[in-house]
Amino acid sequence: MSELSVVGQRVRSPDAYDKVTGGKGFPVNVRLPGMLHGKLLRSPYAHARIVRIDTAKAEKLPGVKAVLTPSAVPQIKYHSVFFAPNLDPGMVRDMLILSDTVRFAGEPVAAVAATELEIAEEALELIDVEYDVLPAVFDPGEAMRPGAPQIWEHAPNNVAVNLSFGFGDVEQGFKQADYVFENTYQTQRVHTCYMEPRVCVVDSDRQGDLTVWSSTQHIFGLQEKLAFALGLPISKVRVVKPRYIGGGFGGKLDLGYIEPVCALLSLKSGRPVRIEQTRYEDFITTARHPVKVQLRTGVKKDGTFTARYAKSILETGAHATHGAVVLPVHGLMGFLLTYRCPDVKWEGCAVYTNNMIGGGFRGYGGPQGAFAVESQIDEICEELKLDPIAFRLKNAHREADPHPFNPNFTLSTYRLDECLKRGAQEFEWSKRQSAGSGSGTKKRGIGFACQPLWVSGCVGFPGIYEHSGAIVKLNVDGTADLSIATVDMGCGQNAVLSQIVAEELGVSADAVRIAYADTQTVPFDAPTHASRVTYSAGNAVKVAAGSARKRLLEVASQLFGASPDDLEVVNGRVRLKGSRAKEIPIAEVVELAGAPALTLGLEGNQRTPIADKGTILGTSSLAPASNPSPATAEFVEVEVDTETGEVRPLRALFAHDIGRVISPLGAEGQVEGGFQQGMGFALMENLVFDSETGSCLAGDFLNYKIPTAIEMPGEIKSLFIESNEPSGPFGAKALAEPCLIVPAPAIANAIYNAIGVRVRELPITPEKILAALGKL
Amino acid sequence: MKQLLPISLNVNGDSYDIAIPPWRTLLEVLRENLGLTGTKKSCLEGQCGACTVLLDGKPVNSCLLLAVEAQGKEITTIEGLARDGVLHPLQKAFVEHGAIQCGFCSPGMALAAKALLDRNPNPSEDEVRHAIVGHLCRCTGYFQIIEAIRDAAAEMARKDVQA
Ligand code: FES
Ligand code: FES
Repeated sequence: MSELSVVGQRVRSPDAYDKVTGGKGFPVNVRLPGMLHGKLLRSPYAHARIVRIDTAKAEKLPGVKAVLTPSAVPQIKYHSVFFAPNLDPGMVRDMLILSDTVRFAGEPVAAVAATELEIAEEALELIDVEYDVLPAVFDPGEAMRPGAPQIWEHAPNNVAVNLSFGFGDVEQGFKQADYVFENTYQTQRVHTCYMEPRVCVVDSDRQGDLTVWSSTQHIFGLQEKLAFALGLPISKVRVVKPRYIGGGFGGKLDLGYIEPVCALLSLKSGRPVRIEQTRYEDFITTARHPVKVQLRTGVKKDGTFTARYAKSILETGAHATHGAVVLPVHGLMGFLLTYRCPDVKWEGCAVYTNNMIGGGFRGYGGPQGAFAVESQIDEICEELKLDPIAFRLKNAHREADPHPFNPNFTLSTYRLDECLKRGAQEFEWSKRQSAGSGSGTKKRGIGFACQPLWVSGCVGFPGIYEHSGAIVKLNVDGTADLSIATVDMGCGQNAVLSQIVAEELGVSADAVRIAYADTQTVPFDAPTHASRVTYSAGNAVKVAAGSARKRLLEVASQLFGASPDDLEVVNGRVRLKGSRAKEIPIAEVVELAGAPALTLGLEGNQRTPIADKGTILGTSSLAPASNPSPATAEFVEVEVDTETGEVRPLRALFAHDIGRVISPLGAEGQVEGGFQQGMGFALMENLVFDSETGSCLAGDFLNYKIPTAIEMPGEIKSLFIESNEPSGPFGAKALAEPCLIVPAPAIANAIYNAIGVRVRELPITPEKILAALGKL
Repeated sequence: MKQLLPISLNVNGDSYDIAIPPWRTLLEVLRENLGLTGTKKSCLEGQCGACTVLLDGKPVNSCLLLAVEAQGKEITTIEGLARDGVLHPLQKAFVEHGAIQCGFCSPGMALAAKALLDRNPNPSEDEVRHAIVGHLCRCTGYFQIIEAIRDAAAEMARKDVQA
């Protein structure tokens, strides 16, 4: 690897100072003059038709400026997902801003804007709604049975989408097997728990042009979906990029109800309207889809896969917005492509119920797949007395193999084997005892899981947006402004992208500033999602910075009387390659390009030739061909209290091949945060609903517990197995999602190792442990 | 007409005289009346710690406290932690250690940590974990926050010795 000066350094996030002194840049802080406060009236019923809505009293309440009911709302069916075009045929369009049929408890039926929040709340109570309550169904298995309540006309048996894909002939493969294993695994509904609530402010002008501030993960997606749902041309909607948002993790990756409702309330009242969701509303807005995965796996005696079959039933809730896409990502990346096997088949369906809508959540179908696949491998190894690491090494794809899905690519960097071997060594895997062999009531166990291939987007799906673009502009003080649509939701995007620009320009990281951006001023960028920013947006900012540097050197070349190709930029100064004889700060070159004349010391007065006049900048807009996969392995040690059923993760080690590490501090933070989310998924988090009424029973942090500082393990180590991905910016690949995908199966496997019993349903609560031990 | 109650608050050494409906929480008053948006609002039910401020040096959830009850006390918000443009050692350590990802929990965390170090300048890792147990962070997994707090404690001890 060549010498790099900014990439790979432990640089600070450019927003950290601002955030640690209060963080003014969060969208929740946006206030406009004359702003109204909006509020949604939500249905108490899980399935009902609205017979009549009477808003007369509410409208008369002093301070109320606009009221919205389904009849005043465009009835354009849309899909709310940000990363696919509106008309993509793979997407189910079943959303309406306000509909006269509600399909989950909490679906909005009306909205109000008033001068004060309290008045808006009071107005909601004055709205009289008459419902015709319909039979509801909350369990996907029941929903598919004949005679179950039908939630949508377009979906017989409540099946929103049915899919299948595979390679080879799976039945033939099972004939080759020495053993066939069949197991079923079930995951639960969990919430992203971003800490900043979903919020937006929408303003409108006399021409009906809208300006939107929102806690979104994607300004262009929001612009597109909002315009579509409102029946407006896209040019009527401008979305302002938040400087950063308070977490998202996929949970802010779709058009909510609040943005279109605020837009309509603003158009009606002529004033800006703000809606901020309560925590309860946030809990019923987005969740990871529960999936039941039935696995049938054929292996040879030595552990070689001969056939793999899976059937996944994904519960999509009342709408199939994300569910229709999570399903194939889950099937493909979470199951089909994970290991080498000649005969593989996956079938899956997304099933409607009258529960809340599922949404994006870091891993997008992966955690559900990995829990099944990686748990079952452990079960197979236990049964056949094979080493789980050797088993995976035998079946894993290898570096330089063709990409299993996209034959135009190879796995040019793919160090899963090294992740497994070095991880095992560091974690002292060889000291693992046989399952359940410990004595005493508190038993310890070691477990392991990996995510062989993973990026949830950009593997060549034709309908998914993947391009990124950037503008890099040099300033007369030698700094650079980076304009890009990418939203920083806390994963350090602003830091990583500034580092890449700095490295490419030859300046220090703090000489790069992230500029204001909105959908009018910057090129399109796909969302902050799918572990794509470092790689895809990283490549875009690198190209933009590279072209700014090229221009810089062209202008500078006259000062050196040399060709631009003979120049370089080091530490913010231009010089002849390898020579320190003469160095000119970037600032001087930028000024030269902008100024009619300049005094340049030894050379005396020089004029800028007309051809060199202008701002020095570079732009880009490009789509990566693929997003090369990272490889991830995780080892964990747990302690299980066999009297109480409690599980305590004691320590964990991650080994990752993420290409070159751009920001080590950020990468470690991603791993540790990913573990917290994965551990919550494994052991405690469960967004439960009343099985009679469909109302959420866990809509606060008291009933929906996420791991706190005392539940986290004593240590989490990150081992980065650095490779140099040729297509990545400075050799980098992705990181974000796998950190959360692997903990659940690793913990489940560690629990098995501790107590010798297997729990195949998440979360693995103390009750389930005690039941499995026969103590309940 | 709403009944407004005149109150006076001392926030970060400045005094504010305002008139509010008596049921307003300190959190709402800080954010909406005084424009001090550093104090964060996340659950509104005392379950996440994002809205933590110091009241006479003790951490409280400002979403559960009526503004009226904060009269006569010294209120410290995140805006008051840095003095004369110089970051508090805790803030500096948060930045250096990567303890801030999305940053939404950071103001509450930093103030809880300040209260801890004020009463226990040399906390063990366990004591740090317990001090921030009421503060939810969904981004960091807490490790870099814990390291930052312990590092700030060490740094402050070094400065004390020098002084
Ligand atoms: S907002 Fe006060 S504790 Fe969560
Ligand atoms: S840094 Fe995002 S919640 Fe803590």
